[in-house]
Amino acid sequence: MPTELSDPKLQLAFALALGALGAYLLLPKPKSRSVALGTFALVAALAILGIFVTQSFGQPIGELVPDVLFWLFSTGAVGFGALLVTQRNPARGAIAFAFVILSSCGLFLLLAAPFLMAATIIIYAGAIIVTFLFVLMLSNVKGPSNENDRSREPLLGSLAGFAFIGLILFALLQSQPAVASTDESGEAEFALPAPLLTKDDRVALRDVRTDLDAALATDDAKSVGEKAKSAHDKLAETIGGDGVTGRRKTVLERLRPLLGDSKNPSTHDPRLLAFAKQTLQLQRANDDVEVKYLMADAGRADKASLQKLRDEVTVYSGNGQLPARNVGNIGLLLYSEHLLAVEMAGTLLLVATIGAVAIAGRKKGDNS
Amino acid sequence: MISLNHFLAVGAVLFGLGLAGFLTRRNLITLFLCAELMLQGVVLNFLAFGRMHGSLNGQVFGLFIITVAACEAGLGLALFLMLYRRGRSLDSGIWQTLREQGVPAAVDSEALPTVVAEVHPVLTVAGRKPGVGTPAEGASRV
Amino acid sequence: MFDLSSPIGLALIAAALPLAGAVLAAILGWSKLGRFAHLPAILSFASASVISLLVLAGVIEGDGALSMSADLGTWFSVGRLNVTFAFLLDPLSLVMLCTVTFIATFIAIFSAGYMRGDAGYARYFSIMSLFVFAMCLLVMSNNFFVLLAGWEGVGLCSYLLVGYYYAKPSAAAAARKAFLVTRLGDVGLVLGIFLLWQAGGYHTTFDSLFDHIAKYPPASGTITAICLLLFCGAVGKSAQLPLYVWLPDAMEGPTPVSALIHAATMVTAGVFLLARCAPLFVLSPEAGLIVSCIGGATALLAGFLALAQNDLKRVLAYSTVSQLGFMFLALGCSGVISPKVAVVAAMFHLFTHAFFKALLFLGSGSVMHAMGNVIDMRKFGGLRKLMPWTHATFLIGSAALAGVPLLSGFWSKDQILHGLLEAGESHAKYHTIYLGLFAVALATAGLTAFYTFRAYFLTFWGTERIPHEAHGHAHESPAVMVVPLVVLAVGALLVGLIVDPLTHGFGHFLERSPSIANAHAGYLAHSNMVEKPHAFSWLVAGLSSLLALGGIGAAFAIYRRGGPEIVPAKLKPIYALSQNKLYVDETYAAAFVKPAEWLASTGRQFDAFLDAIARLLSFAPRLIAGLLRPLHNGLVQFYALGTVLGLAVFLTVVVFRSAR
Repeated sequence: MPTELSDPKLQLAFALALGALGAYLLLPKPKSRSVALGTFALVAALAILGIFVTQSFGQPIGELVPDVLFWLFSTGAVGFGALLVTQRNPARGAIAFAFVILSSCGLFLLLAAPFLMAATIIIYAGAIIVTFLFVLMLSNVKGPSNENDRSREPLLGSLAGFAFIGLILFALLQSQPAVASTDESGEAEFALPAPLLTKDDRVALRDVRTDLDAALATDDAKSVGEKAKSAHDKLAETIGGDGVTGRRKTVLERLRPLLGDSKNPSTHDPRLLAFAKQTLQLQRANDDVEVKYLMADAGRADKASLQKLRDEVTVYSGNGQLPARNVGNIGLLLYSEHLLAVEMAGTLLLVATIGAVAIAGRKKGDNS
Repeated sequence: MISLNHFLAVGAVLFGLGLAGFLTRRNLITLFLCAELMLQGVVLNFLAFGRMHGSLNGQVFGLFIITVAACEAGLGLALFLMLYRRGRSLDSGIWQTLREQGVPAAVDSEALPTVVAEVHPVLTVAGRKPGVGTPAEGASRV
Repeated sequence: MFDLSSPIGLALIAAALPLAGAVLAAILGWSKLGRFAHLPAILSFASASVISLLVLAGVIEGDGALSMSADLGTWFSVGRLNVTFAFLLDPLSLVMLCTVTFIATFIAIFSAGYMRGDAGYARYFSIMSLFVFAMCLLVMSNNFFVLLAGWEGVGLCSYLLVGYYYAKPSAAAAARKAFLVTRLGDVGLVLGIFLLWQAGGYHTTFDSLFDHIAKYPPASGTITAICLLLFCGAVGKSAQLPLYVWLPDAMEGPTPVSALIHAATMVTAGVFLLARCAPLFVLSPEAGLIVSCIGGATALLAGFLALAQNDLKRVLAYSTVSQLGFMFLALGCSGVISPKVAVVAAMFHLFTHAFFKALLFLGSGSVMHAMGNVIDMRKFGGLRKLMPWTHATFLIGSAALAGVPLLSGFWSKDQILHGLLEAGESHAKYHTIYLGLFAVALATAGLTAFYTFRAYFLTFWGTERIPHEAHGHAHESPAVMVVPLVVLAVGALLVGLIVDPLTHGFGHFLERSPSIANAHAGYLAHSNMVEKPHAFSWLVAGLSSLLALGGIGAAFAIYRRGGPEIVPAKLKPIYALSQNKLYVDETYAAAFVKPAEWLASTGRQFDAFLDAIARLLSFAPRLIAGLLRPLHNGLVQFYALGTVLGLAVFLTVVVFRSAR
């Protein structure tokens, strides 16, 4: 039994069947609507889906705060989405949609998109308020009504919707490497972000940082020297350098397979070029530490170069992440690469405005 | 570690729920909200992929989707207003004149549950003798 | 390009003026000024006539060949074929141009009175101008393409004018008949043009075509085929046997239209075509013989048919057919005697015939106008006193047609008879047949005199009878109609005498035409004959005068008391035969129309059968559609559901295939 239950395909199928059943039961209709059963089925489906995701795509263990936030926001988005779909009262549906927006904005934040989060909240908040006004204006029906208390083909519609979910999840399951669910750090292909540094590199860098932190924390000159020496050696071993003790492992040698043809820099991925530049900076900082700190009288020099090296290591560990200055970079991208699309979007907005005015304007002879 | 697939799964579920709602619900405004729900799922996908590749193009895509959604909202609500003016209802089911000649109009077979409206007591206006005329008349005379 | 003040430039202006008139008349018809629509037509014809007469006066002096050509640019060009708007001015085309525009001017003036108050007044004058323009285009053409354009334009306009009273079923039928019957001939004409183009080294202009053929003569069979195919077109257009049946019916149109068709524009086109192609016909005596035989047979047959017609216009129509037969008789001789005699005789007869036939038709129109559109000679008679002008002019026209000595018809007919006799007396292969044709022509001349004066006496002599359709308003026609009659009568009286017998100017002038000169050269080369001087033959003149006077005398003896005519019992069958037109229409109906109708109805049944099969086949899609129709219930969400379900099935297949 446990083996069967842990089969992800079975979980998926079960979750989808339950979800479709729950949606069918919950969708408003005059007969055979069961709120209790439907809610139960939907919640169960959600839970099974959660288990499925956890088992199949890897348990999000490690950094606690992002994981908790992820589960919170995704549960919120999906739950309020289900509420919107099954809610009889359109005004409540609009409120549920507002919560969906808030939850998905949380997800946006997790995906390092603060600007988009802000924009979505602002724009959708406006849109939802307008929608809300419409609901209040137009659906002043009292008692049961066709539009709120009936559904069009509830069974087929729920089946179609959940079939889509199932198809996408099944496709994801197929593309997931088999070992992913067990190994914590083996998800090289699907990690967010896709790493530039290997796993060993990251472990080494973490150790270097730990050493440097220890060196900066203490005042004992001798232990500072030891820690600094240890960090410097480890770093030199990891990234190479032109220093006295470091092995001659140049940056370009390491990056050559990533960069492709080094003679034609115009084809280079800017991210990789930036990475190469950062590696060079880190090497220089490491050399600086060696020259200024280790080769001179130990402990006499200040800790500035150590502090600098620590910053460089920190920045370097975060390589491959989305760049900082999110808004500025989006603006740069919009007005360089996507200028035509921006203009077209602006035109589209203008046309839509004119169209909305033209459509909604009262015609002559329209006495309603 | 939260992987790409976690976000894609959430996006897929949002999209599927929106699709189910879009296909089944009959209130035009709910329909519109369900379509927006589908768009949210799509945006989530774009952002997740953008994050994976460390590229901002995904977020730019998200921005454009929001733009298009704004256009859609404006036009859609204008259309709903027009439809409401014509049909005095937000029901999408009353618009079926596009059907083939000779095909009977789709009618809802099951009756809606009747909700008995609560009867509020109407009091006679002060200074008048109770029992003269019906309460409603008395109220309307004010 | 060319100089507009040169003779050909002026002639082209004259030819183009009727087109301007047609456009103007149409514009007047669209505006509210329809009642002035006759002005552009009359003015354009008159100015064209004056211009062409001026051109004639300018070039008539001199002796050498007269030929001017002009190219108004390329029409179309395909491979070796380069067709231009080529025009030619030579004596032949100039004489035709003068005749056409001159006669048309007076017919238009007459029409202005005759058609007054008609609903389609502007339409009438617009089409009439177009008619004259098409004829001018035809005679001025220098290649077969422009000629064919004019030829078909003439056919179209005759269709429109014969069917002018299109609401009348008989008029519509007559128009259709005229169009279809002439179309039969046109098929032959077009084939002949193709064959000629091939045999003539792919040249386009007449002169180069004929030169090429003269230099590299093709097989005599080819020449004969070309000649006969071209003659086929002429048979249709000029109403010869066996395609003459449309012309008597064509008088369903207004009477001035009949005058135009018979005198100036339509039927003369065939004669002109053969005159233009004379260089070909001298190369093929067989073709010439056939032309002559058909001409002779037509002349005699039409003369016989005209004997017993009660309809005045029908008598005149058959007389036209008969006189055209005379012209073809002469044209057919051109391989045996010099074309200088034969073609000139035919053209001369065409020229004089235009005057008196226009006169006779206009005269009959005048009678018809007075009699309240009645033209049946049994219903009126003795109009001598009532319509003195019409009577006098009609008498002159009849005399000219009958060939009374010194009148125009006499001279031209004499030339034809003379040419036939010369052909009969020559030592050519078929000279005995030409002798026989001479006899036929003499007999026809006698018949012509008889039936013409029968019609004259029945109309104008005897006691005065007026049909009740005239409503007692029978009167002489107004001046606008009488003046053209008088002018044409003067022409019919004098033109023959002035133009040829005294001066031989007509013949000399026409001989300067390159077509006729080339034909003459070809004739000399072909038959090794010495040119004989043209001499007036007292024998022929005397014989024809005798026959004409004899015919008139016989008519006088029988019909001087006017109608109703009494037919002796012995002659009844022949009379009935003539009156019923030898049952030719009935024969044609039985031989051609009925089988065609049978074929059409059979085809219709076959079509219905095919339709039934198609309906049977179309039942399957209907059935499937009937099953699928309820899916189109007009609910957009339902459609979206269908789309999504379909997409889901498709994606399922894709995902599970890639999962395997």
